Amino acid sequence: MRSSRTTALALTGALSFTLLAACSSGSDDAGEGDGTSGGTTVLRVVSLLPGSEQEAFDAFDEQVAQFEAANPDIDVQPEEYEWKATTFAAQLAGGTLPDVFEIPFTDGKTLIENGQLADIDAQFQALPYADDFNPNVLEAGTGADGKVYAIPAKSVYGIGLHYNRALFEQAGLDPDDPPTTWDEVRADAKAIADATGQAGYATMTQNNTGGWQLTVASYARGGRVETTNDDGTYTATLDDAGTKEALEYLHDLRWEDNSMGANFLLDWSSINQAFAAGQVGMYTSGSDVYTSLVQTDAIDPDDYGLTAVPLEGDDAGVLGGGTLAAVSTSASEAQKEAAVKWIDFYYLRKLTDQDAAVKDAETLVASDQPVGTPVLPIFSQEQYDESQTWIADLVNVPLDQMTGFTDVIFDQPLVPEPAGSTQELYGALDTVVQAVLTDEDADIDALLEQADANVQAILDKNAG
Amino acid sequence: MTTSTSPAGPTTAADLAAAGVAAGAAASPAAPGRGRPRRGPRRGRRPGPRPDEADRGALSPADWRRPLVRRSMRLSHGVLLALLVLCGLGPLVLLAKFAVTPTQDILRTPLAVFPNGVAWDNLSAAWNDVQVSRYFLNTVVLAAGAWASQILVATTGGYLLSVLRPRYAKVVQAAVLATLFVPAVVLLVPLYLVILDPPLLGRSLMNSYWAVWLPAGASAFNVLLMQRFFDSLPREVFEAARVDGAGPFRLFWSIVLPMSRPILGVVSVFAVIASWKDFLWPLLVLRDPDIQPLSVRLPSLQATTDLGVLMAALAISTLIPVLLFLVFQRLFLRGAGLGGAVKG
Amino acid sequence: MALTHDAREARPRRTPVTWVRRGGLSTLVFALPLLVVFGLFSWLPIGRAVVMSLQETNLVTTAWVGLDNFRTVLADPLLATAVGNTLWFAALALLFGYPVPLLAAVLMSEVRRAKGLYSALAYLPVVVPPVVAVLLWKFFFDARPEGVFNTMLGWVGAGPVPWLQDADWAMPSLVLEATWAAAGGTIIIYLAALTSVPGELYDAAEVDGASVWRKVWHVTMPQLRGVLFITFILQIIGTAQVFLEPYLFTDGGPANATITVLLLVYRYAFGQSLGGDYGAATALSLMLAAVLAVLSVVYFRLTRSWSQT
Repeated sequence: MRSSRTTALALTGALSFTLLAACSSGSDDAGEGDGTSGGTTVLRVVSLLPGSEQEAFDAFDEQVAQFEAANPDIDVQPEEYEWKATTFAAQLAGGTLPDVFEIPFTDGKTLIENGQLADIDAQFQALPYADDFNPNVLEAGTGADGKVYAIPAKSVYGIGLHYNRALFEQAGLDPDDPPTTWDEVRADAKAIADATGQAGYATMTQNNTGGWQLTVASYARGGRVETTNDDGTYTATLDDAGTKEALEYLHDLRWEDNSMGANFLLDWSSINQAFAAGQVGMYTSGSDVYTSLVQTDAIDPDDYGLTAVPLEGDDAGVLGGGTLAAVSTSASEAQKEAAVKWIDFYYLRKLTDQDAAVKDAETLVASDQPVGTPVLPIFSQEQYDESQTWIADLVNVPLDQMTGFTDVIFDQPLVPEPAGSTQELYGALDTVVQAVLTDEDADIDALLEQADANVQAILDKNAG
Repeated sequence: MTTSTSPAGPTTAADLAAAGVAAGAAASPAAPGRGRPRRGPRRGRRPGPRPDEADRGALSPADWRRPLVRRSMRLSHGVLLALLVLCGLGPLVLLAKFAVTPTQDILRTPLAVFPNGVAWDNLSAAWNDVQVSRYFLNTVVLAAGAWASQILVATTGGYLLSVLRPRYAKVVQAAVLATLFVPAVVLLVPLYLVILDPPLLGRSLMNSYWAVWLPAGASAFNVLLMQRFFDSLPREVFEAARVDGAGPFRLFWSIVLPMSRPILGVVSVFAVIASWKDFLWPLLVLRDPDIQPLSVRLPSLQATTDLGVLMAALAISTLIPVLLFLVFQRLFLRGAGLGGAVKG
Repeated sequence: MALTHDAREARPRRTPVTWVRRGGLSTLVFALPLLVVFGLFSWLPIGRAVVMSLQETNLVTTAWVGLDNFRTVLADPLLATAVGNTLWFAALALLFGYPVPLLAAVLMSEVRRAKGLYSALAYLPVVVPPVVAVLLWKFFFDARPEGVFNTMLGWVGAGPVPWLQDADWAMPSLVLEATWAAAGGTIIIYLAALTSVPGELYDAAEVDGASVWRKVWHVTMPQLRGVLFITFILQIIGTAQVFLEPYLFTDGGPANATITVLLLVYRYAFGQSLGGDYGAATALSLMLAAVLAVLSVVYFRLTRSWSQT
């Protein structure tokens, strides 16, 4: 009995020890506590899309090294990251986001309201160019109290029409003369489909990107999917003329011309992949998508062309958006300082400081990463033009294949994304787009009416 | 007919069918003729399988001699075999083929036989660039931990309920049994929140393998299986050991466990298979791409990886389970089919 | 202290000392893994599920709302779609996944040579990791005329099928893959049950002059009754919780044609970029659990009279 008791005690001890060990080991550095270890601040930051090429990661690591050399008390730890509507919330709730993470403009306000973004106003105001931001762009990251919680960081885009020059040539079209009206787009799509058997035109349909692109198409025809009321609430206008026209257009291309191929369940990354693989002739997406096409999908630069989305009708405009850099609420003061320094270094300095711009461009070029992808100005138009001249020699993207876009974009009216319950609105439209593309007899009016009612209910619920 | 959606043990129909009834069958091989199996005491249970009888199907030797029967059976067996080869092997053969075919060929002429040569570098790209090796290792580590967790909880729990039988055993058993009837979906969200904020520990278990290992142990099916098995072990052996002065630990380690090899094998096979197939749970709690297992990583790579390389990655991920199956066929099939040996 | 010796025997005093001496501590050691693991990861979550279904929470704020979550879920237009789709999936899966393996198993039980080959081939798809199977079949289902299945259909002159790209074809496509992946397991179970049918019964039937068909119908089937009943209800319970296939193949599309109840739970909890509605998610999962429980009880009551052997 004695030995049994000793064994019992020993085992209990061992068990408790294992439990304690489980407490202390197991979950890795989640940036808790004050985030410092021996005087160094540890900062976890977003790096690139998962699956990007090794050279892209190398270029990023090089930039991390430069930053750490200039800031020896900060230890930057990169993490691959892709913002997806369906996974972001879980990451936020799970506390697994890096300290510095990226969110689209559309989510900024709601996250600020929910108290899920750290207040970095003090650190932001200390930046030399804090007053130079384009106010429309800065607005997305500003809270109701006027303080800045998220900084416009990158990929401020206008939507463009991307086209495959090789498919154009195969279809007998002139790749330097891209379509400028929706009828021309339709004709070219049919030509491509007939000549090559690939999809002449394609659109995203899943993970809220379907609604996003339908909104683009609606704006381009003078429609609006949502209006802001004077009292700050929103009204859904999903069934307006522009949206309906856009859907009928898709219906015609799909069922009459059969120029949209056979696979319709596409989201942002899968349509990029299909395009880079030569399966899609034309599609609309952010103007900065070229970077991702190179880094992730190995596109052949010669095949890429960018032109402006055709605008038709009164009130037609180009949808614009962008990405904010925000800091997690679990970050300590030291980490917030470090975070804003990183945001300044990695995202913004290259737009305002010539040396930084050149260095950044050189680092990227050294790893064959794209420099010069068309974006919209975060600061002013003049600032943007000037920053482009600094790196003019280092630009390695085929800008001459993108003149259809760059020549006109600054003259086109820019329309921001709908502000209220954006992702849910997009999600509701996803269903409509999918229905139109997969069901020949889809009743567009009924679908839009139903979606409108659903979204209005959501807007009312979120407002109240 | 669905895949496991929670860490609480195998939940496929097949596995549960085997589970609910496997204990009875598992009991008999361990103690032939001794110990009364708990199930069906009133039914006419045969004392043990007699090889010649068990192998007999509905057709008697006389039936087989009739040419009509013989021919139609041969025909149907032939058709069945052809179908099995087509359906069972076909997709896997195609996968192997795609793994070494250039992407454009896969897209344009998937069923042609290597019109443009073989692309062996798909495999090396998958192994190195896509780092299938790392995710594969993650899968193995995950499976090992889940296995250990399940074995620990099931053996100690079964021992507690079957041999030690403290006063609170009945309560515990009822509580465990009750969880068997709660579908995995109910646990999804609250378990996620428990992982985010575990009651006893200070920090979240998110992004750590413990978030998968620990809940895996909470499998009522395993515990009851073990308990049933231990119930069927002859008590005389325990008494003899006790008389010789063995305490509960000695009894457990040196007597009970060695006698339980068959059931341990069954539970282990279930545990490893369930862990390999697990998708939703690791998707939710393992956010860091570096530690994700194959099942979580492959779908997210789908849109960013060249098709040929993706196929190679899929092929590599399938290789080990298939090889394991071919080597340990008996174990797999016995475990899967154990349930059928008991009626009703 | 005034107890007599006999009374003390009848009511032994339990003190901590006697408890330890009786091995209570070591018993507790054995109980610890089970109690801790089940307590934290099974019983506690189940309790929390019930609690959360009565709250509105997105982890930032929590409020008691009584049955509001249930009302919200019931009022969701997607719920009817999800339930309908789930039932459709279950029905199709039962149609293909229940009798076909039985037929195969009956045939296989009569195989005299290389029985192992049949079993191995049948079980092979079960061993393939589900994610691999889905991604592979997703490619097979490519709706272009060059897609794998469409090419095969082209060989027999049938037109290209839209597979996952059409609301009517999507669910059957899912069921096709799901059946492929799971039929092997069912076959093996049936096979094991078939081989345990006592040979004397067949002998007795032959003495009575039964033909092959009658033997199968009157001897084999009744002996299989127990297994058949169990696999039936288990299949229903399993297919009611299908998630992987709709999620990976079509993410509920096209146009919600393949959204299932579990996918809806996932969307409530994890699918919105600005915070999940955990209350609604747990409410829906509890409702599903309740339906399955009622179904099981009704089923077992109904079949009790039939499965007496």
